[in-house]
Amino acid sequence: MAEVFLAAKGISKTFVGVKALDNVNLSIGKGEIHCLIGENGSGKSTLIKIIGGVYRADSGTISIDGVEMHGTQAIEAIRAGVQIIYQDLSLFPNLTVAENISVNQMLESNQQTVNWKNVRETARKALEEIGEDIPLDERVENLSVAKKQIIAISRALTQNAKLIIMDEATSAITSEEVAHLFSIILKLKERGIATLFVSHKLGEVFEIAENITILRDGKLVGVYPSQELNEEKLAFIMTGRNLAFEPYRYDPSMKGDTPLLEVKHLAKKSQYRDINFTLHPGEILGIIGLIGSGRTEVVQSVFGLDPADSGEILMDGSVVNITNPRDGMKHGIAFLPEDRLTQGLYEAQSIGDNIVVTILDRFLKKSQLLNVGKKRESEAQWVEKLSIKTPTPDNPVNSLSGGNQQRVVIAKWLATDPKVFILDGPTIGIDIGSKHTIHEIIRGLAREGMGIIMISDEAQEILDNCNRILVMSNGTIIREIEDSTTITRDELLDVIAQRVAVGAEA
Amino acid sequence: MNRMIRQLTRRSETYVLLIVILFSAFVTAINPAFLTLENLFDLLRSSSGTAILAVGIFLVLLSGGVDVSCTTIAIVGQYISVNVLIRTGIDNIFFMFAISIALGIALGAINAVFVSLFRLPTLIVTLGTSSLYHGAMLEFVGTKAVNVGGLPQSIKTFGTMDVLTLYRPDGTTYGLSVFFVMLVAVLTLTYFILKFTMVGRGIYAVGGNLEAARRAGFNTTKIQFFVYMYAGMLAGIMGVMHLGLIRYSNPNYLVGTELSIIAAVVLGGTRISGGTGTITGTMIGVMLITILEKNLIMIGLSSYWQQFFVGVVLILGVSITYLQAKFQKTGRQIILKEEE
Repeated sequence: MAEVFLAAKGISKTFVGVKALDNVNLSIGKGEIHCLIGENGSGKSTLIKIIGGVYRADSGTISIDGVEMHGTQAIEAIRAGVQIIYQDLSLFPNLTVAENISVNQMLESNQQTVNWKNVRETARKALEEIGEDIPLDERVENLSVAKKQIIAISRALTQNAKLIIMDEATSAITSEEVAHLFSIILKLKERGIATLFVSHKLGEVFEIAENITILRDGKLVGVYPSQELNEEKLAFIMTGRNLAFEPYRYDPSMKGDTPLLEVKHLAKKSQYRDINFTLHPGEILGIIGLIGSGRTEVVQSVFGLDPADSGEILMDGSVVNITNPRDGMKHGIAFLPEDRLTQGLYEAQSIGDNIVVTILDRFLKKSQLLNVGKKRESEAQWVEKLSIKTPTPDNPVNSLSGGNQQRVVIAKWLATDPKVFILDGPTIGIDIGSKHTIHEIIRGLAREGMGIIMISDEAQEILDNCNRILVMSNGTIIREIEDSTTITRDELLDVIAQRVAVGAEA
Repeated sequence: MNRMIRQLTRRSETYVLLIVILFSAFVTAINPAFLTLENLFDLLRSSSGTAILAVGIFLVLLSGGVDVSCTTIAIVGQYISVNVLIRTGIDNIFFMFAISIALGIALGAINAVFVSLFRLPTLIVTLGTSSLYHGAMLEFVGTKAVNVGGLPQSIKTFGTMDVLTLYRPDGTTYGLSVFFVMLVAVLTLTYFILKFTMVGRGIYAVGGNLEAARRAGFNTTKIQFFVYMYAGMLAGIMGVMHLGLIRYSNPNYLVGTELSIIAAVVLGGTRISGGTGTITGTMIGVMLITILEKNLIMIGLSSYWQQFFVGVVLILGVSITYLQAKFQKTGRQIILKEEE
């Protein structure tokens, strides 16, 4: 390995009795691309905050470029060349690109006044270093997440960064943008700048990392050269469980004569057009496409959010009129939105209240008052059925982890006895262990005869769980893959990116 | 050029300026006396104080807060300082300014303690302190108004001081008040601070993303103290100007007018959520409420219509910018290829 840049040895840290980190080591060479992986709560954020000087370790040493760090001052780490890019990127949306890039340097130099010529010059140089061209006077709020990331990287460069730590760098950008980000990281590597990706999920980062450090429950599980691992093995090491499972097999005998749901010539101006598909009992139908391909818009219309301009929706063979979510629910459609926090949950309310909100009318007594006993009974049932980890359904829903919150949203919709369940990004931001549980729940529902539509950004997730796949681009279905076992992940990615001729069905 | 026009159409202050121009043209058509230098000078004299107060509120909004205590601070500064002048017999306008400004800065600093150190919501803090400052003054200083007869001479002189004197055809004079010079000075200073100092950029940073500002290494406590103390200072200045203008110090004046000034600032394109806004916009907003206030009577409407129109323009202005933002977003989503 190349010369060591960062060496953290024997790091331990306890927060009010909870051991967040227990004798953890991390070593990163100069210019190395390293990956720190662990589930939520495994201690990876604590570790990077200790490296960044935000927290002080209870024991252990950190040396950067051979010099041991003493303080808890973030500035000490910054001066030593460590830059942390948090998931929220810490940018100023209201300021220009130039100012966002230069601001840290201006503060560092302790100047009292602003020289706008220098501001632009600093920004221009930083962008030039990584070969990027973003208008200096554009406000950052008008940029895409990927561009914002580039701004954050450029800002790190103005501080003479030697190690850039990126927290969940690839979770909010498209795969094309990920590829672009990687090309920048490789450029930095050429100049001897190391990168540490911190993530709770496997995936793209895998392709670029040289070494992978894995944490579990605050302990170091191991450091592996990335070529020695594959996703399955990594998942096993990370969770301590064997999570590999068979792709979902659809039993065609469940199919029946009439489809559960049929969509004919659905169209909506400037969003999608001529959408046709069917869904049979027991099917898990995957819809995949880049953000903006119209996939979310289509299913929202089917459910009744943002109805279509024209076209027909048939349930059990008869045309239904769905113009709002109440219609959708009435016809037996449930919809789990992409952003569970803003669209799916009442954060401050209890777990139980969140589950039964869709079926409150069932607990009404003749007097129009709620039958509280019946309501609580139902709440407890659902908590048990989906094994939501909580001592009582009365706890606020935001006390749960992401995976458990997602189960609450699923329970909420299952309570309505849907025939068709649409899940948009069911495992976004959820770590691998929980993800697996949610997949199991979804498969179970399908086996019982429910029709499932699953939307995901992850080709692997779609391939593992769906028996049939629709690929969307630019508001149309560009390809239907009847049997998902006939296509590989790479082929699917090619179709999504339209790198192969459309319609060449295998 | 095209890009500039497009950007202008996205800003609510452009529309407010249009309304100001249209309304002025309308008033002039009815009453040609409106568009005279003399009336303009008069408008400037009577609105400079409000404009200075608006600059303070603008700064607070920019930093992501709201300050509803500015008007109270202004009247506290005015009423206490004029009473000090009367009781000590020191008849000096600079002395009065010194007291009023010192009070303003001190009261602003108290606001900042709650906002910055205790991290309480700014609206609640300033609502509370505003009531507290006013109540304390009425109890401990007095409730009796000071009328023009009891007013120290230096204030009357200050109120009528012109920096430029012009003659009417009949030989009498009118002029450009010293108030306007003070406004220009405040605008210049504030512009310089916002544009060219790290504290000024810090105000934008804090208003845009407080947590990021902390992480970047801005001294956010210092910045918030600066904002509230600066707003307090401007309120102190305005208090004295207000007395010079109306020559009557009633401890219950000004309190309650803060909302229309906040409305003016928001009309001028300053985002209530912080981080975005310009001084020019703020001045356009102040122009609108001033012109409405002074000229509805000229076109035969009662002055109550001012409140009504400010409300209409505020809601329209906010709707236009909101709808535009929404339109832009959906417009960006996907562009379908035209079907043949």
